[in-house]
Amino acid sequence: MNKINANTKIAHLLKAHPDALEAIISIDAKFNKLRNPLLRKVLAGRTSISMASKMAGCKVDDFFNKLKPLGFEIDADTLPIVEEKKNLPAFISSLTKSQIIDFDVRELLASGIDPLTLILDKVKSVQAGEALKVINTFEPVPLIKMLEKKGFDVYADIISNDLVETYFFKKSEDSEIEVKPKDGADSGWDEIMQRFMDNLVTVDVRNLEMPQPMLTILSEIDKLTNEKALYVTHKRIPVFLLPELADRKFDYRIKEVAEGEVYLLIFKN
Amino acid sequence: MFIAGANSPIKNTSYKVVLPFYGYAALSFLVATILLFNNTSAFTQHYFSPHTLAITHTMALGWGTMIILGASHQLFPVMIEGKLHSNFLAYLSFFFAAVGIPFLVTAFYKFDMSFIAQTGAVLINLAVLCYLANLWLSIANSKSKNIHAIFAFTAVLWLFTTTLLGLLLIWNFTTHIFSEGSLYFLSLHAHLGIIGWFLLMIMGVGSRLIPMFLISKYENKKMLWWIYSLINVGLISFIFIFLSSLKTQLYFVPIVLVGIGVVLFGIFIYRSYAQRIRKKVDGQVKMSLLSVVLVVVPIIILAIIILLFATLSNIQLVLLYGFTIFFGWITTIILGMTFKTLPFIIWNKVYSSIAGIGKTPNPKELFSSRIFMANGVTYLIGFIIFGLGIIQSSVLILNIGSIFLLITAVLYNFNVFKILFHKA
Repeated sequence: MNKINANTKIAHLLKAHPDALEAIISIDAKFNKLRNPLLRKVLAGRTSISMASKMAGCKVDDFFNKLKPLGFEIDADTLPIVEEKKNLPAFISSLTKSQIIDFDVRELLASGIDPLTLILDKVKSVQAGEALKVINTFEPVPLIKMLEKKGFDVYADIISNDLVETYFFKKSEDSEIEVKPKDGADSGWDEIMQRFMDNLVTVDVRNLEMPQPMLTILSEIDKLTNEKALYVTHKRIPVFLLPELADRKFDYRIKEVAEGEVYLLIFKN
Repeated sequence: MFIAGANSPIKNTSYKVVLPFYGYAALSFLVATILLFNNTSAFTQHYFSPHTLAITHTMALGWGTMIILGASHQLFPVMIEGKLHSNFLAYLSFFFAAVGIPFLVTAFYKFDMSFIAQTGAVLINLAVLCYLANLWLSIANSKSKNIHAIFAFTAVLWLFTTTLLGLLLIWNFTTHIFSEGSLYFLSLHAHLGIIGWFLLMIMGVGSRLIPMFLISKYENKKMLWWIYSLINVGLISFIFIFLSSLKTQLYFVPIVLVGIGVVLFGIFIYRSYAQRIRKKVDGQVKMSLLSVVLVVVPIIILAIIILLFATLSNIQLVLLYGFTIFFGWITTIILGMTFKTLPFIIWNKVYSSIAGIGKTPNPKELFSSRIFMANGVTYLIGFIIFGLGIIQSSVLILNIGSIFLLITAVLYNFNVFKILFHKA
């Protein structure tokens, strides 16, 4: 029925079965943070089972054992996509204090703000030869993957159970060139996200009454320049918006994490 | 208990609930036009004839009511910012109506008012009750109760009044429930349905949807409350005048009240049109705007009937009156609104899960817009010619008009089923 493997995203599990959340939390108390809707939003869509088990220090099989009784079909043969972790890379020890930009996101998370766009903003200000140090309560695996693709050297220093310092070291100025966009038509959410990560305008329309979400989004994209993308947080897929976007020659990708939790990425192709 | 879906206040109604209604309505329209085509001579005779009754009920129930039921199962949760209480009740409602309507229509066609007609009427009432209960429970569970939802819910109460009276009228053929014959109550039954159900429902939903589709910022709750009161008071005054058998001229009171309500609604729509953001209005919305204009036609005809004849017995005009309502006003709004709702429901079904992977089509590409345009043209031609045929009592003109209406139904069905069977 519902086949899962080590690379299945946590969001998929939560969506597929109402009891999956409690099952996952029962594996390790660390997953209690999934109870927080914001953290769930930040993490679940970007984290696979293998990433999660690494964060909690448990095994992928622990997940499988808990999820099997819920009716998930286990595919234990697919191996997790492994990223090799360099042990204490030289770039950290060679940095001076002034070359490291600290960014503590723990307070932001606690107050309910998704720090992703803010972190990406910070990343922009990092010069070649400098590093951004993100101080967080967990290993930000999705962010690591994202920035690794952008050519950053990354090292996550797990200091304790709820304190992780992650270094993003920018080797050279041209490291960004590798991720220049190809034609966007066939690219999925992740590629488009990659492409616009430095140029996101965010808007949350979940608390607006109809037809305000539509009006808000349309006025936002009127202001949108070609190199920017609009990142919308919505309650539902705004189907009536889609022809409007087409009329205005905008393309979109939609990510439905759960019922009542939808993200849109609107951009010009 | 923290799963987003489970306690999320908003939930889309499953397409599985909604789609059968759309398919059923499309087929009913086709059946109605086929019946029309085969029985044009019925439109030169008295309106209380088996074939006219069969066609009217196919149109009112199978076409108009079924599609409103389908669309409102989808739209109502959006209007009350909540979710549909029960999918099961919705299925049940579809099942009862889907079986009941052919029973009733067949019985009318054969003019056999015994078992078949009675079964049909009971089933239709059960369908309406399931729907009524479902809406009531959905409203009770939601926090937002707005004017549009109140319009819609009141309309459903009138629908139930209509179908209940219909049921009694069916029984009245075989056992004497009322002191008068069923023909006597026809105009009461018809207007409960036309004004209470269709007009109120279409205004309630239209006052929300049309501005939305025009992308207009215009809002005027006060005006909507006025419209709501005028229509309801007008209808209640009509019932009162009818039941107390007062002078025919008094019927001007409800006509004026409802007329003012309709004019205000027209002004409301015009203002939201004037304040629209979207400058280019698409064909589907144009069709719905035309429908707003077309409501005025039956009211004018009704006024003429009373003015000229001081009686409601001019057969041609009464037939024309009914025709402009069911084949005019109600049909135009459905022809337009189908393609403003159905493609989006199907888009959601087919593409929502893969809209993150790559480019997905515009919901408007799910149907053929050329056929949609042709649909509009054949419809307008057919409507005007058939209307002329009624006035002239000419079977030839009626035949020509009915061919165009039949083509309209075929084209409409083609497009609807093209959407329904759309695959990624």
